[in-house]
Order: sequence, then structure tokens, then C-alpha cells
Amino acid sequence: MFGRRSLLRESLPIVGFAAVYMAVASMVESEYHLLTFTLVAVWATMGLAWNILSGYSGLVSFGHASFFGLGAYTSALALKLFGITPWIGIPMGTVVGAVAGLMIGVPTFRLRGHYFALAMLAYPLALLYVFEWLGYQEVAVPLMRENAAYYMQFTDHRIYVGIAVALMTAAMILSRKIEISRFGLSLLAIKQNEAAADAAGIDIMRNKLIAIVLSGAVAGTIGGFYSMVLLVVTPPSVFGMLTSAQALIMALFGGVGTMWGPVIGAMVLIPLSETLHAELGNVIPGIQGVVFGLAIILVIILAPEGIYWKIRDKLRAGRDDDRRPVDASSAAPAEPSEPARIKPGPDAPIVLSVRNLSKNFGGLKAVQDVSFDVPEGAIFGIIGPNGAGKTTLFNLLNGFVTTSSGSVSYKGGDITGLKPNAVCRLGVGRTFQVVRPFLRMSVLDNVIVGAFVSAATDDQARENALAAIELVGLGGAAERIAGSLTNKELRLMELARALAGQPKLLLLDETLAGLGSSEVEDLLAAIRRIASRGVTIVIIEHTMQAMVRLADTFLVLDHGQVIGLGDPKTITREPRVIEAYLGKKWANRA
Amino acid sequence: MGTVAIVTENILQAMAAGLLIGCIYGLMCAGLGVIFGVMRVINFAQGDFMMLGMYVAYYFVTSFGILAIMGPYAGPIAGALVAGPVLFVLGVVLHKYLVTRVTGIRVAGLEGEGHFAQLILTLGIALVLSNGGLILFGSEPVSIRTPLSRTAWELGPLMGDAVSIFVNKARFVGAIVSILIAGALYLFITKVRFGKALRAAADNPQSATYVGIDVEKAHRVAFGLGVAITGIAGGLVASYYPFQPYVGIEFVIVMYAGVVLGGMGSIIGAFWGGLTIGLVQQMSTLILPTQLQNTAIFVVFLLVVFIRPEGFFGRSAERT
Amino acid sequence: MSTTRRTLMMTALGAAGLLAVPAYAQTSEVKVGLIAPMSGPWARQGELMIKGANLAIEHINAQGGIKSMGGAKLKLLTFDTGDSAEKAKNAAQRMVSQEPDLVAATGAWLSSFTLAVTEVTERAELPMTTLSYSDQITARGFKYIFQTSATADTQANTALPAILSVGERAGKKTTTIGIVQDNTASSVSFAKALRETSIPAAGLKLVVDETFTPPLSDATPLVQKVRSAKPELLMLLPTAVSDDKLMVEKLSEFGLGQGKLPVVANGAHFAVPEILKSVGPELMEGVMVTVGNWAVKGQESIIDDFKKKTGEPWMTQDSLSSYGDMWIFKEGLEKAGKADRKAVADAIRAMDTTEGAAKFFPGGRIKWDDKGRRVGATVVIVQWQKGAPVAVYPPETATHQPIWPKN
Repeated sequence: MFGRRSLLRESLPIVGFAAVYMAVASMVESEYHLLTFTLVAVWATMGLAWNILSGYSGLVSFGHASFFGLGAYTSALALKLFGITPWIGIPMGTVVGAVAGLMIGVPTFRLRGHYFALAMLAYPLALLYVFEWLGYQEVAVPLMRENAAYYMQFTDHRIYVGIAVALMTAAMILSRKIEISRFGLSLLAIKQNEAAADAAGIDIMRNKLIAIVLSGAVAGTIGGFYSMVLLVVTPPSVFGMLTSAQALIMALFGGVGTMWGPVIGAMVLIPLSETLHAELGNVIPGIQGVVFGLAIILVIILAPEGIYWKIRDKLRAGRDDDRRPVDASSAAPAEPSEPARIKPGPDAPIVLSVRNLSKNFGGLKAVQDVSFDVPEGAIFGIIGPNGAGKTTLFNLLNGFVTTSSGSVSYKGGDITGLKPNAVCRLGVGRTFQVVRPFLRMSVLDNVIVGAFVSAATDDQARENALAAIELVGLGGAAERIAGSLTNKELRLMELARALAGQPKLLLLDETLAGLGSSEVEDLLAAIRRIASRGVTIVIIEHTMQAMVRLADTFLVLDHGQVIGLGDPKTITREPRVIEAYLGKKWANRA
Repeated sequence: MGTVAIVTENILQAMAAGLLIGCIYGLMCAGLGVIFGVMRVINFAQGDFMMLGMYVAYYFVTSFGILAIMGPYAGPIAGALVAGPVLFVLGVVLHKYLVTRVTGIRVAGLEGEGHFAQLILTLGIALVLSNGGLILFGSEPVSIRTPLSRTAWELGPLMGDAVSIFVNKARFVGAIVSILIAGALYLFITKVRFGKALRAAADNPQSATYVGIDVEKAHRVAFGLGVAITGIAGGLVASYYPFQPYVGIEFVIVMYAGVVLGGMGSIIGAFWGGLTIGLVQQMSTLILPTQLQNTAIFVVFLLVVFIRPEGFFGRSAERT
Repeated sequence: MSTTRRTLMMTALGAAGLLAVPAYAQTSEVKVGLIAPMSGPWARQGELMIKGANLAIEHINAQGGIKSMGGAKLKLLTFDTGDSAEKAKNAAQRMVSQEPDLVAATGAWLSSFTLAVTEVTERAELPMTTLSYSDQITARGFKYIFQTSATADTQANTALPAILSVGERAGKKTTTIGIVQDNTASSVSFAKALRETSIPAAGLKLVVDETFTPPLSDATPLVQKVRSAKPELLMLLPTAVSDDKLMVEKLSEFGLGQGKLPVVANGAHFAVPEILKSVGPELMEGVMVTVGNWAVKGQESIIDDFKKKTGEPWMTQDSLSSYGDMWIFKEGLEKAGKADRKAVADAIRAMDTTEGAAKFFPGGRIKWDDKGRRVGATVVIVQWQKGAPVAVYPPETATHQPIWPKN
């Protein structure tokens, strides 16, 4: 998806679609149907606005009516109070929407998940009451008989369709540009795993803010146009819960995270709702809502992720049937041969130095007074039973968790207290225990996300990603979609992603967990290959067997304390270590 | 009346009104809190389930001469209590045939994307219920009419002769029943085995599966129970508030605000959240223009969410 | 309730039956429209409008239809504005595009819907009558809109002196007044006129002035303020039936009800049958309501027929207005002599009569000023007496004497 794609070429289908849409509309005589054509494009654009924030970044917003409503009131009041033409008023709505996005985003992005979603709900509703309090219950756009075109008041309703389609097309191209850009992939990385994105060097806040500003701008624009179509603005019609829900429904119904989703949603739902309303509304009042609701329920049960993805998966399944799935290891005769790795000597420079590191959570001492040094080129294993504080230690090393006391230095510089993305930019990569790939994206695109931190250009990122994929042994699978990978291959991909950022130090969090013994061998080989390129590795694991063969040095943690440090073979014979792992009984026997 | 007396009376009166309405809000929120806490499903149809509860109570009380037989106190309470089992059955059936398809273990692995289907499904259910309500019940606003909703117990005169507090009878009855039901819910989730399992599922869904809790069943009961409790709250509201089939949307926002304030995942916290909303809504009128009383709710809501995202009773902020 | 629904279904079936009339009949049929909320929270008002319009059509056709067009029959088409301005606009666009032979329409009840709908009808040159009384509707320079009820400010400025004089005749001179209003458009303009014009003109002191956002959850804070301020007359201006009930009951609860504090409300929602059902006759007794239209002296036979055919206990403003609107269309058609919307619009615009349709509108005259407001449109004051709202003002057409509450 990413890289080597010109926006121009990507825009062609969009422009083609818009041209067909417009051509069909221009053959329509009835002003009523033209209004429907206009409203389809309006709500598609609103859905696209929602999708830019919520679809790409995964932060569900229930409050997009804020931007829509502010845009609508901006253009309507500009014309009514100051006689400003909508040709300027609508762009003013764009600016207001963008500013509102920034003002809402800064405080609200501190929240996540459902908290974010519900907090967003509060803004438009508060605005609704404020606009009523201000006395703007009903703002009617004045009728301009003279200079009608200047005031965007056309007798030929096809012009309204034209403007709506132009706005929709612009929003689609913007969406497409995001989809194929570094920014879009960064948003996807945030959606997938915010912590991992942070660890991969992505500035979370900045990316989210850009997304909400763009999203607010698009919603503000289309809101501004909406008031010129409806010619009446009331707080419930633009700030109401149904307005926010409408944006959401269009995108969810059509498919989230793709610019086609909201467009498909609007093209199906708006005419469906209107037709039901027209045909049934005055016969049995209410039946239109029941049928519409049932239609939504039915479709979402058949296609829970939206129509677009359902169709795409169907098409892809058809295509994939002809192609035998390639297993990376078997179909990789070009697997790089393994150069003999040389363990670092005693005089090797120290890459990572930890001194008296402690972390308390309330009364719980998760990590207590831990000190160790990792020499350059080493494979350094941290082991310990569940709950020993291994992951907390990692989180302290790369800045997810602030230290209570002690220090961490990397290549001689103090990195205690730095943010994860800053630590990452210094050359410390990391993987996570729980793998959350983008199952619909190719392996290459999954890995490219990790390459951004060190790559100056997009092409460079692509190159680094390919090299990393090659190094872990997934060379033959770069273009496959991640959803078709085996568990082991996903782990290798995760490794490649961390590697693509060209770290000097790689922190691996239980990379071997849950794998079969032959799969473990493949991963061990990959890790050794990485180490042989001079990357220092610190790996957490709670099973000892594989680690004994992999690591040069063991650090054993129990209850947050170091209970052993040294050569694996020696360490595993120490009674304290055996006791921690197997209990006192076994320790005594040994 | 002196100024001090007027101010005192205004404050006490607003506080009384806030407490009375807050208890019923609390019960609604507790219902939603059960669903949200256990299933992590954002259910937009909750307000419409409440609307159904109102109509069940209304038809039960007005159709069989219940009001005449049981009197103005017991009649509406009986109506509200009848709404519980009816809504429970509806909730369980809807969960079994619809909700379960987009929630639970099946979509747990999808993370963010799985929630999208739930949102739109519950929006669809909300549309069907409110518009189906119009077809079934008609457009005319109705309410259970008893003398209680227009009479009050007068506390006072206090402070000499100056201050009198009025406690609306219908709302007081509603508040007491709300507290009792919320109390019963509390006992259920702290003392009864299955209730404890529900709470465990709410606190930590993953561990719940490890310790052998049937998550699917827990979800089904939670959904039915949550719908039923909100339905009872609706039945209580019906005794003093006129409603029509589209009334649900007026309450669903209050419910979510309450649940978030109380702390997502905390069922009892949701009750306190709802109570807080009631107090804020009524007492804000002492200092703000009355027309901003709902804005005050959202401002308080946002403040609490920013300062203490885990809510009053939540254990930890939601993870990414 | 079930009768209501049945009637509605019958209407629907009736409309479907009409569609099946053989082709020769269609030439002698003229279509008029009614566009109003039939679904969503305001569905009840649309229902009441349809009932009134249907009755008028029945009466007109039974009396020989449009005589100048060879006895052509009127046919009513209904369009649902739903619950939003967008749906209202869609409905209006559908109405003018898909029914090119529609000659006139009435609607759309909620003033914001009327604003959206008339943007469309104006451009389509379709004459449209409305009972919405926001002054914005006729302040836009439109040529095809005819506002039958008095605008909110006229209503306020006419009603207050009339009500005060009722008190004076009963020996009660009012000196202080309170306003409790919601912030919907009609209440806002009504209260604005009170505050700026009629209250100062009457030399009253405004002691409590509260505005709230509907729907209320509890009326306590508002009524508490009223209780502390002790006005002698309360202008109570909510819009939703649920707020009406909460306010009236709370007044009673706080010992201000049943006439202790005379209450004047605005809008037909305060005089619909459902408020009687949900509040009860005791509390409503004596409450005065200013409305744009109401059944008055001389309309008894129509009202009886309405009650008989619809099962409604009385005829409200919404039903009576749409009843009268059909008669305006009928007379416009008689004069135009052809089913042409422009010709009908011209005929309506040129009307100046106190006969026929004019009898269905307070003031008793149909003549329009250049904005499209009905000249002489005045307010009707109804008062709840013995469990029913009855017209007590203007005196010429009032069916009952006003009673000043005696507590």
C-alpha cells in the first residue's frame, strides 16, 4: 500500500467515480432526486471526516457533530449577520472546524478507548445548549434574489450536486493521501497498539492532533455547505446526537478505515432511508424507522466490519484460492546463511548500564535496586517466573514507566525519564508480548511502520523494511497479507518491525512464548542472525530451556530483585534460582 | 422572608430535588453499568429499553385496574417491578440472537474494530424500538397519573417560619424503590455466587475466563439484568413524567455520563455517578442560568474525566 | 389510543382507495398537500392536523367540491417531515417535484420545519399556509407564504392586556408578573414581546424571569424561584407536554396551584386532550392559554362532527387550522377556476373576506399584508373550565366567560 505510489494515479479512480456520479446526477430532472444526490455526497463527506480521525487512528468519536455544527453556524451566521458570501463562509467553517479540532483534541487525547469516545459525546451536546442559550434556535439563511450565484443560491439544483461532489472528491483524495502516506501508517500503528507505536518512535500526540484537525476541517466544511443546502440551521439539526451518529453509521456500515467505506455507506443508506420515509412515512408512521433499523442490523450481522471489507475479503479469498500459501521457511532457499557469531569479549564497550533501578506501584515493589551492564553485541537474557518484574523492568528501560529511583544509561548517556519515542530515536527498539499486527495489510507495510523512526525518506523506510524482512527470513512473504501468516511468522514479522528502525539495542519481550519447539528454533536462528550484525539484544523469557542455548549472560529476577547474574549454565544450577522457579523442595534436592 | 432564609431554602430545595432525581438516575446508570461493566459494549439502545419499561409499567397499571386496586403507592411500584422481568426476557432474547454475534469472545481478538459492529447494531436496535414504539403505542404523550406526582411532604417550617422544603411524593417513592433495587443488586454481585462471577467478569474479563467463568452466559445474564434494571427505572419515571416513544434519547446521555463518572466497570459506582448527575443538574441552577443546567452536566462530566479518568470508583484507566 | 391508530390506518386505506379511482375521475380532482411531522417526537401534532384536514375535505366534497371547476373534488396528500429539518426539506422537495399538479399546501407545524419547507415551496411558487407563528417565516420577503396565526409578538401584546382586564373586572389589580419560558423559538419571541413591550406598557413589575432548556427533568428549581418571588400572575411558556405537566404539578405541589397563582400559558400543547389525561382536570382548572386559533362560537356543528369522527374530545388549534386552510384552498380554487398553483396563489393573495373560510380564523377576516401575514390576526385565549379548554377571548366569538381564579 505504501510507497512508490503517486497520489495522482491513486486519485484517478476517485475522480472517475466522481465523474460518473455527476454524470448520472446531471441526467436527473427531479429536484427531489437531485437533493438526495446532494445529501448522499454531504453525508459521505461527513463520514469521511469521521473516518479520518476514528477510522484511521481507531479513536472512536461520538462527537463529530461539534465540527459539523460549528461549520454550519459559521457559514449561516456569516451570511445572515455580515452578508459574507458562503464562498468565503464555508472556508471559514473549515478553519473553525480545524481550530475546534485542535481545542478539543489537546485535552481529550489524554483519554483512551471508551473514555475518549464518551467524552467526545459531551462536546456537541454542550454546544447545542450553548447555541440555544445564545438565541440561535433558528437561523434562516436569507433569500438572495439578486446575485444568487454569489450567495450560492441556485435554481439549477445540479450545481448543488456539483459542489457537494467536489467537496466529497476532495475529502476522498485527502483520505487516500493519508492512507498511502507515512502519516497514515503512523495512525494505523497507533490504532493497532499505541504503546508499540510510541516505542517505534512515533509521536503519538502530534499524529493524533493532525488527524483531528484534518477531520474537524473536513466536517466543518461540509457543515458549512449543509446549512446552504438546508437554508435553516437549528442546534438539534447540526449538534444533535443523530448528526454524530449519522457520520458514524455511514462509515461503519460501509467499512471503517477506508475512504470507500463512508461513500458506500452514504450511497446505500441515505437513499434507502429517504425512500422508506417517502413511501411509508405517511402510511404507517414509524414503519420507515423500523425497516431502516432492521436493514442496518441485518447488514452488520452479515458484514460486521462493513460492506467494503466484506466484498474485498470475498474477492481476495477467490484470488487466494489459486495461489498456494507460501511458508516462509520452506520457500526461502535464499535464507541468509548464518555467520558464526562472536560473543563479546570482556573489554567490549558497555551499551546499556542500569544502576540501582527501582519502581514502586503504591506499596508494591515491582523492581528493587536492579543493576547490570550489557556489553555491545551481547545476547543478554532476563529470566524469572511470572510476576517477577521482567516486563516492568523493560518498561523502565524504554520509558513507558517512570522510575522511582536509579538510573539507566545508554552508550554512556543518561536516558532515565525520556519518553519512549525519544528512547527509540536513540536506537533502542522493542517488541511486545502481545502481537497485534494489521491483519489486512501486507507484511511489508506492517514492517514499514517500524522503519520510519530512522529513515529520512519514504523510499529509505521501504528499503530498511525489506532488509529487515530478509534478515528475519520472511523474504518470500513480504507482499503477503499479515492475516495469512502463521503464529511463528507473525513473531518474525514483529521482530522485523523492531529491526526496521535500525536499532543498536533491541529489547525482546517473550518473543518465544507459545511457540512449538521447531518454531522456537527458527526464531532463535533469526535472533542470532540479528545479533551477528552487531545489534545488542536483551531478551525476556520465563521458560529457561531455549534461553540457555541463546543467551550469553543471564539475569534472574524474582519479586523484583536480582537473584542471579552470570553465565547461563552456572546460574541455572544455583539453588536460589531453582527455588524461585520450582519451589523450595527442588532447591533442597539440588 | 430574609435573604439568608431564601438562599438556604433554595439550596436545600435544589439539593432535595437533586437527590430524588439522582436516585432514579442512579438506578438507570446501574443498569447500564452492568452491561457496560461486564461486556464493555456501548449500548445506544439503553434509553429505548427504558422507554419500553415505561410503557410496560403504564399498560400494566392502567389496563387491569391495578391503580384502583393497589392504590397510588403500590400500583406504580408494581408496574415498575413488572417491567423488570419483561425487559429481562427481551434483553436475553436480543442478546442471544443479535448482540452475541458482534460481542463476546468472538470479537475480543479484533480489539478496536470489533466495537464498531456493536455500536451500529445497538443504534439499529434503538431505531427499531423507538419507531416500533410509535406504531404500537401511538404518538400521544402518556403517564401514569396519580395524586402523588403533584403532592409533597412539607419538611418544615424550619428556621423559625421561613424555610420549607417540599419532597415530592412520587419522586420520593421512586427514589426509595431505586435505592432498594440498587441495594439488592449490590447484594447480588457481592454475595451471590453468580453475581460475584459477573463482577469478576467486569473487573477483569480475561482472568474471568481463566477461572472457569462461562463468559457467554455471564454476558447474557448481564445484558438481561442491565436492561431489566433500566426498565424498572423507566417504570418509576413513568409515575411522574409524561413520555412518548422517542423519550429514550433524553436519558441515554445522562446514563452514559453517570456510568463514566462512577467508573466504567464499577456497577455500584454507576449508581453514585447517576446520583451525582442528578445533584449537578438541579444544583447548578443555583448559580448558572437554568437553561445551562445540562451544559453543567457535561462540563462536570468532562472535568471529572480529565482529572480522574478512572471515575470515582474505577480501578484503573482503560488501557490501550 | 387504539382508536387513534385505527383511524389513522383507515385514513391510509382511504387514501389508497382513492388512488384506485378510475381515470375519468382524476380530471375532476384537485390535489392539496399537508406537510407535517407524522413520525418522530412531534408525530402527535401531525396526526391532529391530518384529522382536521380530512374532515374539511370531506365537508367540502360533500358540499359539491369546487363549483367553478365543475364540482371537482379535493384530494389531500400528506407528507411526513419526520424529526429533522433535513427530512422536512426532503419531504418538501418531494412534494413539489413529484406532485406537479399540487395547487397548495399547509404545514409544517414546528417553525424550524416551516422555515425549511417554505424555502422549497417559495422557489416552486407553491402557495403555502402555516399556523407556525415565528415572525421569521414571513420576514424573508417570500411571496407564497401565508401565515394564518398572529405572530408571537402580536399574540403576547394582545393577550396580556386582555388577561389583566379579566383580573380587574374580578376586582384584582395585578402589579407583579413572572415569566418562566423554555428557549424554543416561539417561546423566546413571545417572552421577548412581553418583556420589551407589553409588561412595561401595563406598568407591571417583572419579579421572576427564568428560561430553561427543554425537556426538563424536574421543575423544582424554577418553581422554587417563582415561590420565592411571589408574582401575582405567571406567564408559563414551555413547549413540550412533559414540561407542561412537570410545571403545573410542581406549582400545585408548592402550594401555588389551583388558582392560587393565576397561570397563563402559550401554545395549543397546553390545551390538548393528552395534557388532561396526564395532569388531570383539577390542576388545569382556571389555567388560561393563548393560542393562534381555537374553536369558537358558530363552529359547534363542525366540532361535533369532528368529535364523532375522530374520537377526540375536542378540536384543537392544529386540527381547526388545517380545517380552515382547506377552506382557504377551496375558495382560492373557486376564484382561480383552474388547478394551477400560481393562479391559486394569486387568488389567495387577493382575498379580502370575512365570509366562508375567514370564520375559521380568529379576527374573522382573510386579507394578507405584503409579508403574507393575515391582517387582523389575533389571539384566542382559552381557559380550562370544568375539564375542558373553552374560548374566553375575544369576547365577540368567545363561548364562555373568563373566570379569574379566586384563591
